Parts: sequence; structure tokens; C-alpha cells
Amino acid sequence: MISDGSSQPSNKVSRKPTYSRFTQQDLPAWKPVLTPALVIATLICLAIIFIPIGLLSLSASENVVEVVDRYDDACIPSTNQKVGFIKDPATNKTCIRSLTIPKKMRKPIYVYYQLDNFYQNHRRYVKSRNDRQLWNPKAESSTSKCDPEEKTGDGKPIVPCGLVAWSLFNDTYMLSKNDAALPINKKDIAWSSDRTHKFSPNVYPKNFQNGTLIGGGKLDESIPMSQQEDLMVWMRTAALPTFRKLYGKIETDLEANERITVTIQNNYNTYSFDGKKKLVVSTTTWIGGKNDFIGRMYLAVGGTSLVFAIIFSLLYAFKPRPLGNPSYLSWNKTTT
Amino acid sequence: MKRYVYINDDNLAQDIYCDNRISNRKYTIWNFLPKNLWEQFSRFMNQYFLLIACLQLWSLITPVNPASTWGPLIFIFAVSASKEAWDDYNRYLSDKKANEKEVWIVRQGIRKLIQAQDICIGNIVWLRENDEVPCDLVLLGTADPQGFCYVETAALDGETDLKTRSIPSACMGIDVDLLHKIKGVIECPSPDKDIRRFDANMRLFPPFLDNDVFPLTIKNTLLQSCYLRNTEWACGVAVYTGNQTKLGMCRGIPEPKLTAVDAMIDKLTGAIFVFQIVVVIVLGIAGNVWKDTEGRKLWYVRYPKEGPWYELLVIPLRFELLCSIMIPISIKVSLDLVKSLYAKFIDWDDQMVDPETGIRSNATNTAISEDLGQVEYILTDKTGTLTENKMIFKRCCISGRFYGNESGDALTDAQLLNAVSTGSADVIQFLKVMAICNTVIPVRSKSGTISYKALSQDEEALVCAAARLRMVFENKNGNILDINFNASPLRYEVLDTLEFTSDRKRMSVVVRDCQSGEIFLLSKGADETILPLTFSGQQVRTFAEAVEQYAQMGLRTLCLAWRKLEEGEYQEWASMFKEANSTLVDREWRVAEVCQRLEHDLEILGVAAIEDRLQEGVPETIETLRKAGINFWMLTGDKMNTAIQIALSCNFVSPEPKGQLLIIDGKTEDEVCRSLERVLLTTRITESEPKDVAFVVDGWALEIALKHYRKAFTELAILSRTAICCRVTPSQKAQLVELLKLCDYRTLAIGDGGNDVRMIQQADIGVGISGREGLQAARAADYSIGKFRFLKRLILVHGRYSYNRTAFLSQYSFYKSLLICFIQIFSSFISGVSGTSLFNSVSLMAYNVFYTSVPVLVSVLDKDLSERTVMQHPQILFYCQAGRLLNPSTFAGWFGRSLFHAIVVFVITIHSYAFEKSEMEEVAMVALSGCIWLQAFVVALETNSFTILQHLAIWGNLLGFYVINWIVSAIPASGMYTIMFRLCKQPSYWITMILIVATGMGPVLALKYLRYTYRSSKINILQQAERLGGPILSLGIIEPQSRSSLDKDLAPLSITQPKNRTSVYEPLLSESPSATRRSIGPAQRFDYFQSQSPLTSTHTRKDN
Repeated sequence: MISDGSSQPSNKVSRKPTYSRFTQQDLPAWKPVLTPALVIATLICLAIIFIPIGLLSLSASENVVEVVDRYDDACIPSTNQKVGFIKDPATNKTCIRSLTIPKKMRKPIYVYYQLDNFYQNHRRYVKSRNDRQLWNPKAESSTSKCDPEEKTGDGKPIVPCGLVAWSLFNDTYMLSKNDAALPINKKDIAWSSDRTHKFSPNVYPKNFQNGTLIGGGKLDESIPMSQQEDLMVWMRTAALPTFRKLYGKIETDLEANERITVTIQNNYNTYSFDGKKKLVVSTTTWIGGKNDFIGRMYLAVGGTSLVFAIIFSLLYAFKPRPLGNPSYLSWNKTTT
Repeated sequence: MKRYVYINDDNLAQDIYCDNRISNRKYTIWNFLPKNLWEQFSRFMNQYFLLIACLQLWSLITPVNPASTWGPLIFIFAVSASKEAWDDYNRYLSDKKANEKEVWIVRQGIRKLIQAQDICIGNIVWLRENDEVPCDLVLLGTADPQGFCYVETAALDGETDLKTRSIPSACMGIDVDLLHKIKGVIECPSPDKDIRRFDANMRLFPPFLDNDVFPLTIKNTLLQSCYLRNTEWACGVAVYTGNQTKLGMCRGIPEPKLTAVDAMIDKLTGAIFVFQIVVVIVLGIAGNVWKDTEGRKLWYVRYPKEGPWYELLVIPLRFELLCSIMIPISIKVSLDLVKSLYAKFIDWDDQMVDPETGIRSNATNTAISEDLGQVEYILTDKTGTLTENKMIFKRCCISGRFYGNESGDALTDAQLLNAVSTGSADVIQFLKVMAICNTVIPVRSKSGTISYKALSQDEEALVCAAARLRMVFENKNGNILDINFNASPLRYEVLDTLEFTSDRKRMSVVVRDCQSGEIFLLSKGADETILPLTFSGQQVRTFAEAVEQYAQMGLRTLCLAWRKLEEGEYQEWASMFKEANSTLVDREWRVAEVCQRLEHDLEILGVAAIEDRLQEGVPETIETLRKAGINFWMLTGDKMNTAIQIALSCNFVSPEPKGQLLIIDGKTEDEVCRSLERVLLTTRITESEPKDVAFVVDGWALEIALKHYRKAFTELAILSRTAICCRVTPSQKAQLVELLKLCDYRTLAIGDGGNDVRMIQQADIGVGISGREGLQAARAADYSIGKFRFLKRLILVHGRYSYNRTAFLSQYSFYKSLLICFIQIFSSFISGVSGTSLFNSVSLMAYNVFYTSVPVLVSVLDKDLSERTVMQHPQILFYCQAGRLLNPSTFAGWFGRSLFHAIVVFVITIHSYAFEKSEMEEVAMVALSGCIWLQAFVVALETNSFTILQHLAIWGNLLGFYVINWIVSAIPASGMYTIMFRLCKQPSYWITMILIVATGMGPVLALKYLRYTYRSSKINILQQAERLGGPILSLGIIEPQSRSSLDKDLAPLSITQPKNRTSVYEPLLSESPSATRRSIGPAQRFDYFQSQSPLTSTHTRKDN
């Protein structure tokens, strides 16, 4: 065959990258081995860290004093017409409940309302709002996405529009201790970021709850949005069907065994969907409200780690298996 | 349909045919966008994603911002489109280069230089030596007075030998100047793609010849892209141009190769798709039921009483969109990215650089590196692939005396040198045949040294050797040869050349000694064609023995013979020869027949043995790769004995008693059938034995076997780990590849020459050796390497790592997508099955694009075992071949892991962020952070070796997640305003993260540890050995020389071997248990005669 030198491309030869450990896949590398010692030590460390944290969390949770009172069933005449009762604007919905403080509660004491089986995260519901409208005074007519609560019957834009605002929770609580009113501070219950960057001081409610179908609470049209803190709290939609929202704060300490009387205006309809309403009075600690879950999980994980550390140690002691013994390679056994 | 080509007719506008502009482009500027989009959308995955993206435009059902799908989709499309555009632009450039090449044509009787694209049908094109033929031409004239010219057709059919083309007899003897004025008409068929046929007629107009129609055949044509060789000039008339040439019609875009891994990923994607549909249907039904039972009670949701007609579809479609992230849109982009990096690693590899030429290995096809790790069969060419294709004259046997021995080859043998200097007649005659009987052309360079241009390497070796033995072939001037022997000039006139053909397997020249005027016939050829032609009485036994002996050493043998011709005898024969050469029908056969009339009563002068040296490292490479469970087939055009000897010397087959060779041969169907059945039976019997059984088949028997006994042959192919196929044609090589592919084996074909191109293109992976037979193979191949031994590194290092990495990357991509999708599904159960997305659009998009893609991309640097360990234990390739790291069961593991992790994240999040903390954005962000933390630890746990880049990517990515979210949380307009700052200030957030990581990773770690220690895979064992630095070192030293002694020490340790192999995930790794060894002969010789039928010995094969 004729050797034709010209057909050999010469650029192949010259294209030689400089040597680097990256191009040669030869970067220095740390290659860990899952030795029994390493794994058992990790598990023991895990146990040592987790069990104290678990105990700490549990004790924090234990230190939270919490009074929960379900009132939706008690605050309604035991008729079959629960929905009719709650929907009728003429009925007297005042309801008096009394709570006993089990332990001393230090201020600040938080008052929450808790709704069960309320789907604030329902797709139709959670989307039905328009945040631009709340911040920009010029955007009051931007009610897109607010369906079915965009405009009034005669076509005026609703501010704030949407189902979320429309269904504003409107039960009210009056607390009194020994017949003296116990003031609930309703200022600063919403996130400060909401007050300063989401709900404008220049936007006022308009045409709200004016339609034929009344949802939840009404808003004072003379108060700007930035001060409608109940609405802000309500519009921070919850991810779970059971949720608590801050109603207000009590700025005094409550002693153990004190009795507190609560006057409830039971306006909000949870009866048509078997929802529960609860009043919660609670203190907080560094991990928040009463929640044993984290502490228990930590203890469980720590405990399990410890158990496994022991099991692995025993396995290692009674059934040792040398690592990396090439005799386990089957091809070293086939006689050839 | 016929086309009429009027030769050299400038007046007749022949616009009806296209011009000679070649275009390989797929697109034009105008149709690029629609055509490219159409092509991309013809893929199922893209259609799916487009459908999802379109559905998302419907705000009623979309859970998230449509941008979260459109963004990545457009990005992916843009990437593929720009890659296509770049490729097409390069094709345009190379077309342009070809189109603008300048050629000489005749216009108005004058030779003009024009661009190749302006050639019209009927133009006369002039070519000089080494010019590329610009379009399909019918020859009109050549520099050769006999009307011959030589062309290299490698680009067309892959055959590298030069082919002879002749001018039609009508044009014979036309003067060069008259050729400018020639007129005529050629009647030829419409363009087709058959490069072996051209059935046309030519009629010349007066004053040349008239009324006489001459037939034209393919022999009279010069086809596009061939090269004119060894001919000063040639001219022809253009008959097919542009894309209508034979080559243009043949041209097709080769099918893109799909790797086994890709196929598996597609399969898994399909499975996930089905799973997704099931989830969507179930959730859709549940959602509609919930809506009608519970949802309508929720006054605050205000379901309309009368929904639109598609109401029932809304919830399922919402879930379809929510679940669409189950199939990661990013997987294709990340796979493409890492695949091109694998290819780059091959290009960059300093250990795969040919030290002689400096040629680097090159991955032309960047998409199939994983397949390298899954190769089960290697089909290799012999010459130039296993051997260096550097022919060296090694031994010779002249009149019964053997020259050359173990200590040195014939050229340094004192006896031979002595015989040359003393002028032994036999030796001199032998040397003369070596120097004269060839088609070599000596070229004298300016410095006076002579180099030889030869059609075959063998001839070059012979001429060079003759020159070293002082018989220097100095000059060829027309038919006159000048030889210089011991400083005395000899001159011969070549009267006729009886060409070499693969049927004749010999070539002869008839020369006249210019001093004495005597005429000689000098012949050389394969033993089986020369030895039967001796004059009665000559003893050929010694020569036959010499041939046998040399073949045993793996040398190529040529018998040299001569005969003195009488003047009369020659003249008589010469006229017959001339007549035969000018016949129109069956010329080749007639010529061969005439040649045979002269080639008889030869006197054998001797046997020349030429060595084609094995490439460095070939035996080690083959042994290593065979240990890795790869089966080798050798497909060669060479003869059986040579092939077997080469096979022996490079560990291809083991000598007796370890190995056994079974020969399939026979001339008729029955013989082949019997032989095949016998071999099959033997193979079946010996299958359970640890014996290397190989079968040998020659081209003829293979032809019959493939045609009539395909089933039996296939069975044999599956049973036998080794095969040698000799005397096979390029198309048979391709057929064998096809056969193995049909049996579902991953095949790799490696070769260096044009005759391997078809096999290389056919195989799953084609590897070309950029060797001495040119670069056709390397160009056609997916990978080109400089030396055969690099194959070991290519497969064991690059192939294996690529497979492992892709296996991890693809499954991980599904894991992370499923993880977030499962959380969405779970959260739909606490949101009234209404199809709410827990996560916001920004998070969903960034999750796939930023948070989870970076750490996994650096898994391309992961090495489970060091290169050294893999080389020492090539058996570990088994895991890749068997697809142990990526199959439905490993995928089920990842699926389970994502389900488990989703449960962990979801349950912990909703419990620790319950009640007053259950604000949606916060809960979503806690869940998302949980996923990010978990995936960082999953990647870390699955990483085998941490380089600095991995640490940066894994932990830096975690930090990056927070940085990105802090930035997003600082924008008041975003829904996430202040969320991340709030969370980071809460101790409970961090406690929750730690809890998620510990709960999610604890069981995974424990399981991995148990497996790693008590159920360790081979990979684990080697990892432990390598990293703890214990026994592997000693193993490395004793491997593989004294493996048997190691076996003895380890024998008592019991470990059960994997027995029940399923056909799908297990390769043919022969781990056969030790069985009694059948020993047949004590000698280290092959027993291939054992199965050879006594009827067919080498010498009974007369001419075909």
C-alpha cells in the first residue's frame, strides 16, 4: 500500500494539553472506608449528641404552659340547626367559657385560635389572592387570580380581593380575670415584614364583604391595610389543616390556679365542615410552643443509635470479618 | 430511466442535471429552526415535556409558575440546537472546501481551471496523480499507453489496495490533443447507489468512430472521492455530479449509537412514567371523590355548583403537572455534559499516547463511553491491530537450506551473506525474484537514497531485504528495470505482469534479460498456489516443511519460483494474453485462465518468511481483558496457519492441554455442516471444563455456515469464548458483528484498515487504530487509539469509570426528582387532595437546576477503585458488564430510598412545624432544606473518593443553597420575603435539620455498613484491600505469575459462587468450577488436526 504522508492529519500530534492532575484524573483524594470502628464511633457520637438535645427539647416543651379550650361544640345550642344558627346574623352568639391556669405563666402570654380541619392550603383557596393589590395603591383593580371574589356585583374591585381575605376569621375573645378585664394586646401580632413590605399604609379596604354572600370578618375601611393585623395573620396561610394563629398577647403574668373567664363571640362557621375551634393560651420557650415531637424523636434517634452501636460492636466481637481479604474474591478461587 | 450525456458539448445546456455542488448539510439557514425543532420534538421525552409545559400555561391547573418548566425546556433545546448548528456549520465548511477545490476541465476545446462545483455533466475533467476525483467520470484517456490507471477506492468501499481502471476500447489510442475535441454520447442509467455496477454504452461521434456502440462497465469509471495513483494523468467525462454521484447516493447519516446504559435509562424512565400515570389516576380519583364529599362542604372554597364539562379532568391534570417533576428534565443535559467529559478524559489521557508518533487517543463519539465498560465481545483484526503491520524479512529457505534462526534473522545470517558473496546461483536467482517479481516503484530522493513505493507491505519487505542482500532494485523506467547486484548492473525488461488477485493468490512477471535476451517467468505466491505448479520431479517436501515451520512461528510465507520461457512459447502466450486483456465479457476470469497457461512447470527457488511483529503489550492486554470476562474473536483476511500462530503467540488461544482448537471447514454444504456439528458437539461437552475451546473457521466455510446453518453457528458463537475467522471479507466481518449483536451482546470491533471500516461501523463500539494502513478505520471509528494495548486502559479504566459514574448519576437524578415529588404527593393529602404545590416555583426550578445538579456533576471525578487495582483485578469489570450498578433492582433501591427520605422529611417537617408555626412558606422551606441536606449527605455517602472538588461541590452547594435563598428572601416582591432569615434565627429550624439528616441517613448508613462488611461485593472487598493497604500489595506482586500457589493457600476458604445466572444481567464470565481436566496430548502443540477431517489437507486445495 502506498504510504501517503499527506493524509495523516498533523494537528492531532500538536494538540497536547499540559499535564495536570485533573486531566489525568489523578487529583489527591480522601478515600474513606466504612470500618467498624468508624461506624460504631459515629453511632456513639450520634447518641451522645442526640440524647442530651432530646432531653433539653423535652424539658423546654414541658416548661411551656398551655391551656387549650375547644369551644365550637359548647358555644352552640345543641340543635340540629348548627349551620343555620351560625349563619343567622340575628342570633346572639356570645358564649362564656372559663379556663383554669395550671401553672404559673410568665409574660408574654400568647392567645391563639386554633382551627382543625380547615384547609387553608386548598388549591382553590390558597391561590385566590392578589398581593400586588395589598401593597400598591394604584393596583387596586388588579384582581386577577382572585376568582371568585374579584369584584362586587356591579363590577367594582374588592380590596382585599380573593377567598383568603374574604374568609377572615371573626370570632372575638374578651378575657377577664376575677371580673377585671384582662387586656389582650393586638398590636404587633403580624410579622413586621408584612406590616412594612406587604400591606401598604396607603391602601384601604374597599367594597369588602359587600356582596350578597358574606364570608368571614369585615374590615374597617378607615384603617389602612398596614394596620389590619388580624388580616395579615389570617393571610399567612397555613400549610396544615390544623393550625393556630395568633390572636393577641397578654402582657401580664398569670398565676397557677387562676380562673380566667373568656367571653367569645362565636361568629365563624366551622360547623358546615365539622371543623373545630379552640382557644389556646400559651407561653413559649426557645423552641417555640409546646411540641414534644422533636424531643421524643431526638431521644428515639439517639437511643436507636446507641442500640445499633452495641449490636454492631457485638457483631464485630463475635463475628469478625476482616476487611479486604482478597480470598473472598471468587476468581482467586477458580483453579485454572 | 436513462440519462444521455453528451460529451464535451458546450452548446447543449445540460441544466436538467444538477451541478457538482456537494451538500452534506442537514439544514439551511431558513429551515434550521423549524426542522431542528421538529427533530427534537420527534423524541418522546421532549414531546412529554412540551405537553407539560403547555399544560402549565393553563392557570386553572398549573400548581406553579409555567416558567419553572419553560425555562429549563428552552435551555435544553437551545443547547441541543446550537450543537446541531455547530456540527452543520462544520459540514458546510468541509463541503465548501470540496466544492471550491480547483479542477481542470475542457471548455470550448481549451483546458481551464474551474471550481469543482461548476463541473457540468458532459464536461471533460483532467486529473493528475494523487488528485481526488471530483465527480463520477467515465475514463477517456490516461497517461498509460495501454489505457490503464490506478485508483485508490478506500473512501468508497474501504478497500485499500489499488484498483486498475481502463479506458473504454473506443478511446484506445486517441491522441492527447484530440481528447480535447472528442465528442460523443454516453447512455447511462439514472443515478443509483450501486458502486459495483455501471451498465452503460458509449458512442463516439465522427471523426472518431461512428455507429459503434461500446459497452461501459464499472471498470471504465473513476468514482467520486477516489484518488488517482501511480498514473501521471487521466481524463474522463462527468456522468454523475454533486449529490447524485455513486458516493453521494450511498451517503447516509450513520445511525446514532445508543448505549446499553441509555437504553436502560429509557426503560426506567418508561417505568417511572407508568408509575406517574398510576399516581395521577389514583390521586385524580381521590381528589374528585374528596371534592364531592368533603370539598363542597368547605364554604370558604366556594366550589361552583355547576362546573364546566372538563371539571372531572382538572384535578388529575393538576396532579399530572405536580408529578411531572418525577422525570427529571435535567437528566439529558447532565448526562450529555458528563459524557463529553468522559470523552475529554480519554483525549487527555497521557497514558494512551503512542510514544512513537505522539498520536493521542481520541473519542470521536462522545456519547458511548459507558458501553466501553460493558463490552462482552471484542472482534479484532489481526494485521496492523495485533501486529505492527511492519513487514520484516525474517527467514528464508533456499534450495533446502534454512537461513535465519532464533539468534538472528536471515539478513544477518552469515551463511546467507556468504552464499551471496560467493555467488551461489540458487541464492542469486532467489534474490532476483525478490527484487523483480513485484509492482514496486523505486523512488530516488535527492540525497540519493532509494525508497520503495509498493502496493503491498510484503513486496516492500522483499525488495528491501533484497537490497540489503546487495540485490538493489535501483530504477524503473517504463518497462525497463535496473538492478544492481554487487555493483554490477543488470537490466530487465518487463514484458507482462500477471497480476495478483485474491483468487489467484500469486503474481508473476515475464521479463527479458536485456543482456542475454532470455525470457523468464518469475512467480511468487502463497504456498498452496505455487507448490502444485512445480515441474514434475522437483521435491517440494522441504519447501512444504519450511512453510509449515515458518507458519508455526507466526510468519507469513511466500514461495518464490521461476521458469525459463522459450521465445515461441512466450509469443504464442502473449497474443492470447493480449486478447484476453481486451475481452469485454468476463475479462478477469479469461485473464486468469490465460495466466494459468503460463504458470506451470515452475522451479521452486525457495520460501521467504516475513514477520509481522506483534505489537508491544498485546498478549498482556488480551490476557487481562479475557480475565475481565471479555470474549475475543479474531477476524482476519490472513491464512489459517498464520492466524493460529499469531493467536497462540498473543495469548489469544492457549496451547494444549489448556486450550483446544476446533476447525470448521469444508468446501461443500455437507462438509461444512458435518464439521460444524462436530465442533458444536465438542464445545458442548467441554463447556463445563475449565478449558479454552476456540473454533477456527475460514471465509468459505463461514459463508456457508452463515447462509445455511445460521442457528447452529449462532449457538456455537454463544458457547465459544474464542474464535478465529480467517480469510474473511470485510462484509463477513460486519456480518459476524451483526450476528453477535443479535444475540444481545455488546460488541467492540477494533481494526486499523479500510477493510475493517464496515465492522467498526456495525459494532456497538468501533475502535480504530491509527496505524500504517491509513486512517480510514480511525476516522470511521468511535474511538481511535494508537496501539492495541491502550484498549486495556480504554475499557478497564475509562469504560468502567464512565459506566459507574453514569449509573450513579442517572439513578441519583431520579432519586432527587422522586424525593421532591413524593413530598408534593404527601402534602396533597393534607391539602384536601386538591393539587396544591407545597413548594413555590422558584424553589422547584432551582432545586433541579442549582441545588441538586452541581454535587452530582462532580461525581464524574469519583473513582471507586484506583486504576492500579482495576488493572490487577480486571475481573471486577464483571459488575459493569452485567449491569450490576444500573438495573431495575438497584433502581428499586434508589426508589425506596427516595420514598423513605420523603417520608422522613415530610413527617418531621409537619410535626416540628405544626400549629402556630405552620405558615406555608416556612413549612415549604423547611421541607426543601431537609431535602437539600439529605441529598448532600447521600452524595457524600455514595462518593468513594473525595477530591477537593467534591468537597467544594457538596458542601459548597449546601452553603450556596442558603446564599441563594437569603438573596431571594431579601427581595420584598418575592413570596419568600424574609422567610429564610426568620428560619435561620430559629433554633428549632437547625434542630429539625439535624434530625432529618440523622433520621434519613442513619438507616442508610447502617445498611450500607452491614452490606459493606458482611455482604461485601467484590468491589467493596477490593476497596477495603486497597485502602487499608493490606493484602492487596502482596497480591499485586504475585499476580499473575504465581496465582496457582496462591490458590492452594486459599483453597479451604469457602465462598459460594454466584450460580443461578439470569441471562439479562450476567455476562459470560467463566467462573466454572474446577473440574477434571481432560488432557489429550503431552506436547505443547495444537491439536487442531484432531478435528480436521482427513480429506482436506492444505495441499489438496487446488486452484479454485
